[in-house]
Amino acid sequence: MNPVSPQVLDADTPLALDELVAASGLPREVVVELVEWGAFEPLPGQAMAFRSVTLVAARRASRLRQTFLLDSSGLALALAYLDRIERLEQRVRELECSAPR
Amino acid sequence: MKYKDYYAILGLERSASEDEIKKAYRRLARKYHPDVSKERDAEDKFKDINEAYQTLSEPEKRKAYDQLGQRRPGEDFQPPPDWGSQFGSGMGGFGGFGGGRFDDVDLADLFAHFGGAGMGGGRGRPRPRAGQDVEVVAEITLEQAAFGTELELTLSEPEVQDDGSVRRVPRTLQVKVPAGSVAGQRLRLTGKGGSGVQGGPPGDLYVDLRLREHGRYRVEGRDLYLDVPLAPWEAVLGAEIEVPTLDGRVTVKVRPGMRAGQKMRLAGKGLPSRKGEPGDLYLVLTIVAPSVVSERERELYRELAAASSFDPRANLS
Repeated sequence: MNPVSPQVLDADTPLALDELVAASGLPREVVVELVEWGAFEPLPGQAMAFRSVTLVAARRASRLRQTFLLDSSGLALALAYLDRIERLEQRVRELECSAPR
Repeated sequence: MKYKDYYAILGLERSASEDEIKKAYRRLARKYHPDVSKERDAEDKFKDINEAYQTLSEPEKRKAYDQLGQRRPGEDFQPPPDWGSQFGSGMGGFGGFGGGRFDDVDLADLFAHFGGAGMGGGRGRPRPRAGQDVEVVAEITLEQAAFGTELELTLSEPEVQDDGSVRRVPRTLQVKVPAGSVAGQRLRLTGKGGSGVQGGPPGDLYVDLRLREHGRYRVEGRDLYLDVPLAPWEAVLGAEIEVPTLDGRVTVKVRPGMRAGQKMRLAGKGLPSRKGEPGDLYLVLTIVAPSVVSERERELYRELAAASSFDPRANLS
């Protein structure tokens, strides 16, 4: 069996807007509104391309939208708070890691 | 087929109204949605809650579910012989099962494809439908994350047959994990998710990488933390010590006067990065005293105690 090489969703690999829309399940207009709200950031100088890690946030937005019926402003706010919580959790983990056991 | 009690999952009586079903779903979705919940097993619970709601919130599906009768959760059962044909217009290919078996069918798959492709009964030609995206969690070791590996994933996926019926099909996939992966890294395998229906495109497979706890290192992002015990005299006098790193042992110079809890940073000795800077290795110093000492050592400690003016509890006086 030949191993499959996956696409790594990270800050280095670009992802086109059309692919972001298709893979996330978000309607195109919602993606565009989320860019306007600053939730998704296009690559510098490229309005139609994103970092591929944006797909992780877009799929999360798609799930939140489906369950909680959020509009784009609600999604942008939820994503911002979830991102902030993740950064705080990361800081807590760093502090826990740096304390001797 | 295993029975799931959708009413119990939503905490409802079987006589619950549509409004009560919706309210129960909203309350539980808020509590267990995996993107916002920190509850243990939130993902599995939300999957069940969603599955229950998708079935009970649609009158025709709810009616079909109710006709399966009430059983113990997890109980193996077969639907009544005429069950499929009763819902022939909605149950897709299951209408044609007659007295067929449902052993390799999941209750969720059954209702997910209710009214889907393959049905007869005058609803026109079935349309192509994209396959579902599949998400799996894969646990790898720190060394596998650092140096890359190949994972063998076995997926059990619902597959809609051309006649509209659904089967669980095992599929094995070999996936390359690139060197320099980190915990939480997502991999996307385009077109390796669920099969499409009636010529629809397949879904994607997403692999969420998690790191197995390491016996030696604590990991945060690309940085590694390693507890390094020092003898009291090494902490006071300084020392050259040997420590393990991901790519072999290195000698480190500990300067005199180190305290427990202080960290030493070995730049670039953490997890490698596919592109960009590798992480760092932090040595977290601890000071350990020997619990068993010889008479000679005891004598030297007594001598040290008499000669030293050091007061470790000066801040408590």
